[in-house]
Amino acid sequence: MEEREIAFLTIPFGPQHPASGHFHALLKVDGETVLGLEPHPGYLHRGFEKLMEYRVHPQNCVLVDRADVLDPFSCELGYANAIEKIAGLEIPQRGRYIRTIMAELGRILSHITWIGVLSMVLGFDSANKIAWGDREKILRLNEIATGGRLYPCYLCIGGVRRDISQEFVDETSKALDYLEGQLSFYDYFVFKNETFVMRMEKVGRMSAEEAIDLGATGPNLRACGIDYDVRKDEPYEAYPEVEFNVITREEGDAYARSLCRRDEIAESISIVRQLLKNLPDGSYRVELGPECITLEGESYFCLESARGEKCFHVVSDGSPCPYRVKIRAPSFLHTLTEFPYLAKGSTIADIPAIYWSLDSCPADMDR
Amino acid sequence: MAYLTDKFWRTFKPFLILKNLFRKPMTLQFPYESLPPVEGYRGRHVLDLDKCTGCFICCMICPNKAIGLVDFRGRKYPQVDLGKCCFCQLCEEYCSVKAIKLSKEAMMVTMDKESAILGPEALSKTPTQ
Repeated sequence: MEEREIAFLTIPFGPQHPASGHFHALLKVDGETVLGLEPHPGYLHRGFEKLMEYRVHPQNCVLVDRADVLDPFSCELGYANAIEKIAGLEIPQRGRYIRTIMAELGRILSHITWIGVLSMVLGFDSANKIAWGDREKILRLNEIATGGRLYPCYLCIGGVRRDISQEFVDETSKALDYLEGQLSFYDYFVFKNETFVMRMEKVGRMSAEEAIDLGATGPNLRACGIDYDVRKDEPYEAYPEVEFNVITREEGDAYARSLCRRDEIAESISIVRQLLKNLPDGSYRVELGPECITLEGESYFCLESARGEKCFHVVSDGSPCPYRVKIRAPSFLHTLTEFPYLAKGSTIADIPAIYWSLDSCPADMDR
Repeated sequence: MAYLTDKFWRTFKPFLILKNLFRKPMTLQFPYESLPPVEGYRGRHVLDLDKCTGCFICCMICPNKAIGLVDFRGRKYPQVDLGKCCFCQLCEEYCSVKAIKLSKEAMMVTMDKESAILGPEALSKTPTQ
């Protein structure tokens, strides 16, 4: 028995591992088999929830971008909507459409970045470079619409801060055509690549019941066969006015999660096209009255971010700053509950593949 | 037939990558060439000394406390610490006289922290882009 215990080895995964990001986990291994995984988050904790208690609402709208670096629009959308719920504001239709376009572009941006990182983790550097080149197309669109590339600071309470130009509409159509063509290239190059399939298929599999118990949301939940999407089930912004399918798969393994995200890019492209086609004229922002400076109330708003269900719980006690902001980040649950569960029983080489198939963003996890 | 077509594609499709030899490269040779910033890019601040009233609103709204007021020519004017600034454009949005604006100038690298702090005189210079 003593000899057996000596055979166990504890090895760290991250925070300097190329596949980990700012995340640390301890693996207990027996030879190649992982017996258990202990996650240690917190390397990217910047205390946004506390920082937001000392800033007024317009400042928080730009600060909250940093809570999820790869999908900043979802954070802005969540915070702005939570405050608008307290204030009882009605956003103009053009503003809602622009917000939805940007949220979907953010989803495409996040998923393309994820293709790049997952490819790099699996030792497929060419796909990584190509995906990061394609990501540049969306970043350029961000720059045209908002003036910033990574941190758009675009959504504000009452609408959006700038109107979109005809140049943005034209460039978006071009970029979407390009990305749609690239998807078939990714299919050939990555998703149907034999090495990729062998590394991802039947790895990190979970059933629908397990996914619900572990708190999975977003593509990770939909890859287990559950048809749940906040955009469809509790629609917000302009989602009730567009037609789209909720992508689901039955297998529940890492490969199914990958294909779910790949299909979501195609679905997002179709959503943006529909919105650009029906973009209404008129005002894109409501003027805020003095009553919006000191708000009193409590609100809870859920939205479908690129990684899953993101929720904002804001309590405002009548002062210009919120009393408390709580962000329910999807990556937190994906990494702290699903990752240890899926890692148990797998091999060491599968750990990066499982981790990135869950699409965790350490910035989103630690906030 | 389908098998043969599949075999054919599997054999010859990798050679399609050779078409990249005739394409423009995706990258730019920085610093010799760089992507021009778009219209409305959020870069270095520009201050109009004649319009500025020293009202303090830009200092109040800055989320990073990057703007402070300093004495210049016998009056109060803002100075910006570009090291702290997150280029959110709230100062421009909230300025009631439109005295402070964000220009397209994106090259703001300095060798020390002190030179990243721009006083009213440096802010009033015309941006390079």
